[in-house]
Amino acid sequence: MFTYVIRRILMLVPVLFGVSVLIFLVMRIIPGDVAQTILGTDATPEALQQLREDFGLNLPLHIQYFNWMSGVLTLDFGESMRTGKEILPDILSRFTVTFELTLISALIAWIIAIPMGIIAAMKRNSNTDFGVRIVSLLGVSFPNFALATIIILVLALVFSYSPPVGYVGFFEDPFKNLEIMIIPAIVMGTSMAGAVMRMTRSSVLEILMQDFIRTIRAKGAKERVVIFQHALKNAMIPILTIIGLQVGTLLGGAVIVEQIFSLPGLGQLVLTAINQRDFMVVQGSVLFIAFIFVLVNLLIDILYAYIDPRISYK
Amino acid sequence: MTNVLEIKDLSIDLIKNKERLHIVNNLNLTIMKKQKYGIVGESGSGKSLTSLSILNLLPEGIEVGNGHILLNNDTNLVNVSKKDMRHIRGNEISMIFQEPMTALDPLFTIEHQVSEVLKFHGETSKKEMHNKMMTLFEQVGFARPKQILKSYPHQLSGGMRQRVMIAMALICKPKLLIADEPTTALDVTIQAQILDLMNELTEYYDTSILLITHDLGVIAETCERVAVMYAGTVVEEASVKDLFDHPAHPYTKGLLSSVKSLGDRTKKLYAIPGNVPSPVELKDAGCRFASRCPFVMDICREKEPELFSVQDRHYSKCWLHDMEEGSTYEYATTDSESS
Repeated sequence: MFTYVIRRILMLVPVLFGVSVLIFLVMRIIPGDVAQTILGTDATPEALQQLREDFGLNLPLHIQYFNWMSGVLTLDFGESMRTGKEILPDILSRFTVTFELTLISALIAWIIAIPMGIIAAMKRNSNTDFGVRIVSLLGVSFPNFALATIIILVLALVFSYSPPVGYVGFFEDPFKNLEIMIIPAIVMGTSMAGAVMRMTRSSVLEILMQDFIRTIRAKGAKERVVIFQHALKNAMIPILTIIGLQVGTLLGGAVIVEQIFSLPGLGQLVLTAINQRDFMVVQGSVLFIAFIFVLVNLLIDILYAYIDPRISYK
Repeated sequence: MTNVLEIKDLSIDLIKNKERLHIVNNLNLTIMKKQKYGIVGESGSGKSLTSLSILNLLPEGIEVGNGHILLNNDTNLVNVSKKDMRHIRGNEISMIFQEPMTALDPLFTIEHQVSEVLKFHGETSKKEMHNKMMTLFEQVGFARPKQILKSYPHQLSGGMRQRVMIAMALICKPKLLIADEPTTALDVTIQAQILDLMNELTEYYDTSILLITHDLGVIAETCERVAVMYAGTVVEEASVKDLFDHPAHPYTKGLLSSVKSLGDRTKKLYAIPGNVPSPVELKDAGCRFASRCPFVMDICREKEPELFSVQDRHYSKCWLHDMEEGSTYEYATTDSESS
C-alpha cells in the first residue's frame, strides 16, 4: 500500500511538469503585455522596457522557465507583478475559501443525490424514478449562474432577504461565514447532485441485476442489507469516479459562482490575474490547481483499492 | 415418508402489457424428506423459473399466477409474508446457482458472506459462527479452511467457489436444497466431485435436493425421481430407473436418444427437430410438444393431454397412452445414416 502511494505520487511529477510547461508557454503566447497594463497607454517605450527587464521578461524563455521552476521547487512561487505580494500565501488563503465552498456543496450534493439515486433504482420505472430522473436532468443542465440569480431574486423579492456582502472567514465568525457560504453552496451542490444522482441510479440498477444479489436474497437478507451493504458498495466505484472529477474541478475554483457571490476564492484570483496579464500569479495558481486535481484523483484511486479487493496495490 | 415440498397446479406468468402469458403451466411435483428430485429440460422449458418461484426470487415482471407451493405440508410459500419468507430463505430452503463466478459478492470475504447466513437467521456468537464454518468447510473438502475464509471470491477457482456455495447453503441445515444447474459452468472433472459432495452432505444433514439441470447424466448420477419439463409443463414424471429404462413420452425418448454413448459411435446423434416454443407462440389448446412430435395425432393439436399413469408412479402427459393397452411405438432414430 505504502509503496503504491509513493509510486503514484512519483507519477504526478511528469503530469505537473507538463502542466507547468503548458501554462508557461500559453501565458507568453496570448496577446497582452503586463507592463502595458500596469503603466497604462501613456507609458514611454523606455519605461515599458525597464519594467519588462525588472520582471525578467526580456530573458530567453528557457531561462525564464528555469528561474520560475527553481523558485517553485523551493515553494517560492514569486511575487505578483501587480501588487508585489507573495503568491503562495495568497493562493493558500483563497484556497481555504474554495475548499470550504467545495466541501459544503459536495455534502449537499451527496446527501440529496445518493439516497435519491438509490430510491430511483429500487423503484425503477415508477413515478418516483421518473421524478428523480427529471430533477437530475434539470440539475445537470440548468446553468449555475441562472440558478444563482433566481435564488438571489426570490430571496430578495419574496423574503426580503439578501445574503451578507463581504467575505468573513470561518474562524472569525462561523455563523456569518456559513450564512455567506450556504447559498453559493446550494447552487453548486444542486448541479453536482444531478450527475451523482444519475450515476448512482444507473450503477445501483446494474448491480441489482447481478447474480450475487440474488444469492444474498436467497440467504434471507433484509432488503436494507441487500441495498446498503452489498449493492451500494459495489455501485460505489463509478460514483466515486464522478465525485472525484467534480471535487477536483471544484477545488480549482468556481469562477462564475465566486464572481456572483463575490467570494474571494481561487477562481476569482485566476480570473483577475488573467485579465491583468499577471503571469506569475496565473502560472502559480494553475500549477497549484493542477496539483490539487491530481491529488484528489490519487485519493480516489486509493479509495478504489480500499473498496474493491480485486484492484491490487501492486 | 413426509412431504418436504409440494407444488400444486403452479402457473408462472409473464406480465406484458397487462396480459398474462403462462410460462409455466399446471406444474405438480412432490419432494419427500431426504429425496433427491431432479427436473430436466431444455433451456426455455421453465425449470429455472420453477426453482426461483419456490423462494419468491422471480425476476421483475414474472410472478406466480396460480397454485400453491407447500413447505412441510403447512406453509404456502406463494403467499407468506416477506418476513416469513426471509426466515425460510437460507434457513429451511437454500439455493445454489449455476454460475459460481458471479454468485458471490466480489467485495466481501468468504467469511463475511458465509457468516451472513448465520447472522440473518439469528446466530450472534462470533465463535459459534466460526466453528460452524470451519466444520462445514472441512466437510466440503477444503484442506485449509482458515485461509479460504479469509480470501475473496476472485482468489478462488470455480470449483472452490461452488464448494463455498454448498457450504453456505447447508450451514443452517435446511430441509431442502435447490440446486439450479450447479455443475454446468464447471470443468467436467470437477462436476463429478461437486455432485458427490452434494449427495454426501445432503445425506449427512437429512436435506432433500431439488436438482435442476439439462444434463440427463447428472440426473442419472444424483437423483431418485425425475420430472421432465417441456415448454413450461411436466411431460413425464417417474423414478430415474423407470425413466431411463422405459421412457414413455415422445419428448423424453427424443432427449434420451440425443445423449452420446461411448459404446456405439457409428450412430449419428439424434436431434429433436425444431425449438422449444417461446411463451408467445404457445397456444392454449393442445399438447405443447405437438409441433415437434413425430407421433402427432389430430387430438394432440386440439386438446391438452392429461397425465396418464403408465406404470406404478410413472406418469406421462401424452395422448398415445390413451389408446389400447400395449400400443407400442418406437422412436424414429436415424439408423439409415449409420455408416
